[in-house]
Amino acid sequence: MTAPPLAARRKPPRKTVARIVYHAVMLTVSAIFLLPFYWMVVSAFKNNAEIFARPMRWFPDPIRWENVADLFTRPDFPFLQQFLNSCFYAGMVAIGTCLSCSLAAYSFGCLRWRGRNLVFGLTICALLIPPIVTFLPVFLGWSKLGLKDSYWPLIAPYFLGDAFYIFMLRQFFLGVPRELMDAARLDGASEFRIWWQIVLPQVKSALVIVGLFAFVYTWHEFFTPLIYLQNREDFPLSVGLFTFRSQRAAEWSMAMMGATFTALPLLVLFLFTQRFFRQGLATKGF
Amino acid sequence: MADSGEIAAGATLPRRRRKAGRAEARAGVLFALPWIIALVVFTLVPLILTFVIAQTKFQIIGLPTWVGLANYEAMLKDPAVWTSARNSALYAVLSVPIKLVLALILALLLNRVTRLAGFYRTVFYLPFLMPAVSGAIVFMLLLSPTGGPVNLILGALGFDAPDWLRDPSVALWTLVLLSLWPLGVETLVFLGGLQNIPRDVQEAAELDSPKAWHRLVWITLPLITPMILFNLVIGIISSFQVFVQAIVIGGTTGTPAESTLMYMVVLYRAAFRYFNIGYAAAMATVLFVVVLLLTLLVFRTARSWVYYEGESR
Amino acid sequence: MAFQVSIPGGSFSRRGFLRGTAATAGALMLPGRLMAQDLGPLVEWLPGGSPLFCEIHTGLLAGFAERGGFSASETVCGLGQNTEFNQSLIGAIASGNPPDISMLWDSPVSLGAQGAFMPLDEMMKGSTIPLETWPGGLLASCQFRGVTYGLPVTAGIYTMWFNQDMFEAKGIPTDRASFPKTWDEMRKLSKEFTVWDGDYLQVAGFVPPRAVEPMAVWSALNGGKLYDAANLKYMLDSEQNIEMFNYFLDWLNEEYKGDVNLIDRSGNFTDGYPNTTTGMGPAFRESRLAGMQSGSWLMGDFYSDPVPNFQRWDLAAHPVGPSGSATAAGIWPNWFVIPVGSKNPQAAFDYLAYLSVEGVVKWYEQIPDVPTNSQVKAKPPASLVERRGQEFADSASAFLQEQASIVTPMWDSPVQGFATDQMTRAVEKIYTKAATPAEALAEAQSACQTELERVLAG
Repeated sequence: MTAPPLAARRKPPRKTVARIVYHAVMLTVSAIFLLPFYWMVVSAFKNNAEIFARPMRWFPDPIRWENVADLFTRPDFPFLQQFLNSCFYAGMVAIGTCLSCSLAAYSFGCLRWRGRNLVFGLTICALLIPPIVTFLPVFLGWSKLGLKDSYWPLIAPYFLGDAFYIFMLRQFFLGVPRELMDAARLDGASEFRIWWQIVLPQVKSALVIVGLFAFVYTWHEFFTPLIYLQNREDFPLSVGLFTFRSQRAAEWSMAMMGATFTALPLLVLFLFTQRFFRQGLATKGF
Repeated sequence: MADSGEIAAGATLPRRRRKAGRAEARAGVLFALPWIIALVVFTLVPLILTFVIAQTKFQIIGLPTWVGLANYEAMLKDPAVWTSARNSALYAVLSVPIKLVLALILALLLNRVTRLAGFYRTVFYLPFLMPAVSGAIVFMLLLSPTGGPVNLILGALGFDAPDWLRDPSVALWTLVLLSLWPLGVETLVFLGGLQNIPRDVQEAAELDSPKAWHRLVWITLPLITPMILFNLVIGIISSFQVFVQAIVIGGTTGTPAESTLMYMVVLYRAAFRYFNIGYAAAMATVLFVVVLLLTLLVFRTARSWVYYEGESR
Repeated sequence: MAFQVSIPGGSFSRRGFLRGTAATAGALMLPGRLMAQDLGPLVEWLPGGSPLFCEIHTGLLAGFAERGGFSASETVCGLGQNTEFNQSLIGAIASGNPPDISMLWDSPVSLGAQGAFMPLDEMMKGSTIPLETWPGGLLASCQFRGVTYGLPVTAGIYTMWFNQDMFEAKGIPTDRASFPKTWDEMRKLSKEFTVWDGDYLQVAGFVPPRAVEPMAVWSALNGGKLYDAANLKYMLDSEQNIEMFNYFLDWLNEEYKGDVNLIDRSGNFTDGYPNTTTGMGPAFRESRLAGMQSGSWLMGDFYSDPVPNFQRWDLAAHPVGPSGSATAAGIWPNWFVIPVGSKNPQAAFDYLAYLSVEGVVKWYEQIPDVPTNSQVKAKPPASLVERRGQEFADSASAFLQEQASIVTPMWDSPVQGFATDQMTRAVEKIYTKAATPAEALAEAQSACQTELERVLAG
């Protein structure tokens, strides 16, 4: 019954309460967000009957490790080959996007030229066009060039730019103080150098985000590779996973195992770039 | 060099500026050129072709024949178009604001320096790493009346679990729910904006106004309005294009009772199931116009509420 | 040997055919590739299919290509099922780079009518597989306005399935011939099995049919038709069809509390597979459903899927509706087509001939897709023999081939995909009582007829 410690316990510093509430909220929300992911992994290690068993099972019992081997040894799902295809495809698109879109976004966000607003307006319009609207003429064009059934139609456009990422990057470029550029101009720096040495470092984290988005979106891109590519050995994982799923719609556990292994490399990549995020923020010197 | 520039400033600056302006303009066009080419080749020309195709009967194979506005007239009479337009509009009205607010809250919560910040950020980003097809399938498993954990949890909390996927009055909400799960993209964009707020601005604000709520409304939110605009526009556009989830759950007929029949599903089935490219092109044109008008509206109002730090206005 | 490989490229008829189609192809804006003389690999596309299915076809094509002097062959599996597959195929045809030959899980009519596939009639005249060697009902589903756009190499056959153990337990004869002959008899029998536990359907006899794909069979059993191919007319809201759905509704009300949702919440009582939305197990294979309609492909999956199976099932002919006079069967197609733009059309056709009569024997031995050409002397699937003995397998196999000869026209309309979606909508409305059969069918009828006329115009 000694007063001071009790009082201290009864009235802890406000900050501690806030911290506890904060983490309680965040952990609950995290649990909700993780549930589908958890369920994907759990289902991947069950068989169909166990997935729908009543009463429901939170853990696979037994854990069907053979499902992993099954995924990698299926003759109808060359997983490793398609994995490499996905890496190539998504990697090239990410590189192309970062280069081309940062150039264009810099031009739209930081440089003044006649017609800029018109072109940017058209860019926004391009963003509004459902891809399916322009798909067929583009497809026929690539076919006439004899480049269908290759990765050219899938990658080359991204080295020229993409409305979505240009719009996104421009939002970040607008936040770069104009004084920085003007100062460099007074120093006689070329516009290319200003872009490369002064502005890009300012939006490093945005570039990493864009590169990551481009990579992940491409990793999941489904419709275009399905139409352009014809051989299973050429497919990226997204299409491989879908065609595999659609022919065995009832194999829920295999679909989930495939999904797990498709998501895994992205998780690794994300964890890696997260560190990059923090570095980018630290060197920014705000 | 800088010194001589400063000395001569009074006399030469205007001309120098004009010169610099010309160099800037040249660079501007040059830098945008690759994208301008892409815009013409991959968007403008195909778009015009699509407008033309919309006025033809084109069954993919064979030559298109001119039918004028017949496709648009047929659209007016097609109950599937009206049903799907209603569904898509409802979906957009529900999912866009909810998604925006939730993402903003999450970003604000994430924008704290704590030991677990990295973990939380990863968690909210995870859904983005799952392919849309797989995401829809997982939700079907989660919401399954047999062996699905969601109904089990709801039951334990004393709620009556709805028939998520087969009750026509619930299925659209299920799709909205599904759209809320991958919040990571929107959240990251907000977070990027929040973290670009200069620390001195925040510190000054903290001195000015000790109340966190005030700082949020008067300092933080205005500074991330560009990101709000971005997420709003992208949200509107993508909500009208929701497709994979809808077709995995509702198929080409939008079961149950056409409650998950989205505009894109009707467009897709017209093109690739009924091989009616002309009709699909007409539907795409209408979609384009509607989304364009909506976005113009957003941009028009944006002038009064979006603040750009680097831009002179 | 009944079959002779004609050397591709050197064959007279190929050149003649090419000349004939060149004009058409020109009009279709296809690239000049059609006239190219290099043989390249012989390419075949297959929709869906298990690894086994893919392996069998890869082997068959490779063997054929080797004998035919091709440098290589390529069997592409796993490009998706119906809609996705058709879309890939049509994309490839539109861009002028299609496979030489392709399987379809649809009627070739809808794409054939638009000029996607080569007419086969000329080639078939002097071949080892003339038109007369196919059952008319099957061939009809490949023909439009007298032109043949594909060949029904094998078919999945829809028949009735029943659980002999469940029948026996009720003292009902379990031979094929004693199966109910009319809907009334089947409905009466069904009531003997059906047991409700509150709103939970524990066991059912037969459940009124809801699947859209085989609805043409039920319509035929009631003396009706969904589509009149000869006159290019949909007949969805005919008297027989309205009567049919009223009959099913009546049955639902009397035996199943008038609520399809209650049925669906209790298990999957509509087919032999786990439900694709809810994952509910197939009631028939859980011995909770005495009988149902299903396709012959279930024989292949009956012993492989990780769901409960029972041993003593048998097949029977469909019972006849109140306005019907004869039984009928239905099909799920495994039809083959030669896309316009095929680089080796004659070789593709020769492969078709080989596949239809000889290759199909190997195919059927492992997968229960029923061979349809009258020249085929096929052995029943090995897994069936293994599980049920030679006698049962032979008799089931003979029964299925006999059913193939009474197949009713199924999807041979140029707007099949559209009509299927319209029927799905109508059937859903009818069973959930959002509309009366007359209203729902009239709406579907008008939509389908309008679409058909639009496609055929010009």
